[in-house]
Amino acid sequence: ENRESMLNSKSNKLTEALEEANRIFGGVSRAREAALDAQFLVVATNIGKEKANELHSEMSAFDSAAFAEDLLTFMGINRTEVEEETDDSEDVPGGFLPSDAWQTVGEEAAKYFRRAPTFHYMMGSFKSEPPVPKQRIERQKKASRGKAERAMPAQLKKMEESHQEATEKEVERILRILQTHFENDPDTPISFFDFVIDPNSFARTVENMFHASFLIRDGLAKTKLDEDDLPVIEPTKPSGRGEDSRAGARNQVVITLDQREWK
Amino acid sequence: QVSELVQFLLVKDQKKIPIKRADILKNVVREYKDAFSEILNRAGRTLQEVFGLQLVEIDTKRHTYILINNLPHPEGEYLCKDKEKEKMGLLLVILSFIFMKGNSVKDSALWEFLRLLRVYPGKPHRVFGDVRKLVTEEFGRQKYLEITPIPLTDPPEFKYQWGPRAEKETSKKDVLNFVAKMQGKDPRFWASQYSEAE
Repeated sequence: ENRESMLNSKSNKLTEALEEANRIFGGVSRAREAALDAQFLVVATNIGKEKANELHSEMSAFDSAAFAEDLLTFMGINRTEVEEETDDSEDVPGGFLPSDAWQTVGEEAAKYFRRAPTFHYMMGSFKSEPPVPKQRIERQKKASRGKAERAMPAQLKKMEESHQEATEKEVERILRILQTHFENDPDTPISFFDFVIDPNSFARTVENMFHASFLIRDGLAKTKLDEDDLPVIEPTKPSGRGEDSRAGARNQVVITLDQREWK
Repeated sequence: QVSELVQFLLVKDQKKIPIKRADILKNVVREYKDAFSEILNRAGRTLQEVFGLQLVEIDTKRHTYILINNLPHPEGEYLCKDKEKEKMGLLLVILSFIFMKGNSVKDSALWEFLRLLRVYPGKPHRVFGDVRKLVTEEFGRQKYLEITPIPLTDPPEFKYQWGPRAEKETSKKDVLNFVAKMQGKDPRFWASQYSEAE
């Protein structure tokens, strides 16, 4: 009780209480009373420490209210405009705090921390819908909070599998397109670029190249250079596939395509 | 083994909760317990040389580790998620308050200060949600803050100090510079804090 009044730097109440305790202790004869006295001492020293702390900060004149005001200024508070409050913000001085207020502070704050960037696997191929991978990461984080680490590797594996499936489907689709084309015109391999380039989307073009490369890797299609030294692609004959995969040389080709070239 | 440990540490660090030696032994090192310190040292070296991250033991009794960034601060925009940035902002403000007030504050004092910034323990915050939980649980578990109960207080009160992660990831000097920058003053204005921070 009376903690606050004791904390007041001008008050001597703490000293008085200590002196009183000293006096009473003379009449103590039972262990329980001595224990109470010890308890009192603990409380008294805590208060004493607090008082000392307050003295310290008074000396260095740190004004936390001014600090708060300066922070609000930094956050971009608009003090002229009175906020139209749908949610009640009770007894705080007026002013409109923008929604990116804490981002502003955070941007500055990041410079003061030596925080290791959080590490995430770059999983799977390009996805046509960017938001989906983000959701997965969030869920993974929420789910593994508080669980044993064993849960985490299992979840990461799940992510890997679903990405792979999507890629496989795409690859199959492209193979079918290639094969259909070839049924109609069996002796003419298709120009590689005609096959993969999407005139409307650079990203799609790159994706197509990526999927086509899987076909070649798996021996379902092959590329070669035609008379003009331009790459062409054709599906491999199913019967010959077995022999080819054993005898076929595995070469690596690196194709570069940037946006300017694509245009 | 070493690369397994490196990956394990990087993934475990995502949530910024200190990594326990027991977990390392159980999940990565397993049968090679005797080689533990050698494996750990090598992992530390890899982390430093490849990623510029430092592996630090923050509790030598309970053997817990954290990863901190050893690279010089990048100029320009800092690459991390907005949510993370906002939390760092709140954390820095809290750490500043604690330091400037003598390295230890009562919870009531802290919340009174945060009120001035429109952050209330009882009210869901537009950006931070359950702020009390964020400050007491998340920052506490991550060891950015050390929260200890004050004995014989009823209802129980707590004191807030810098946690070991804060000590490693930033410094009193940096924090004082932040305060000085916000207030448009020279850090030497606060004489005793300045000498403590040197």
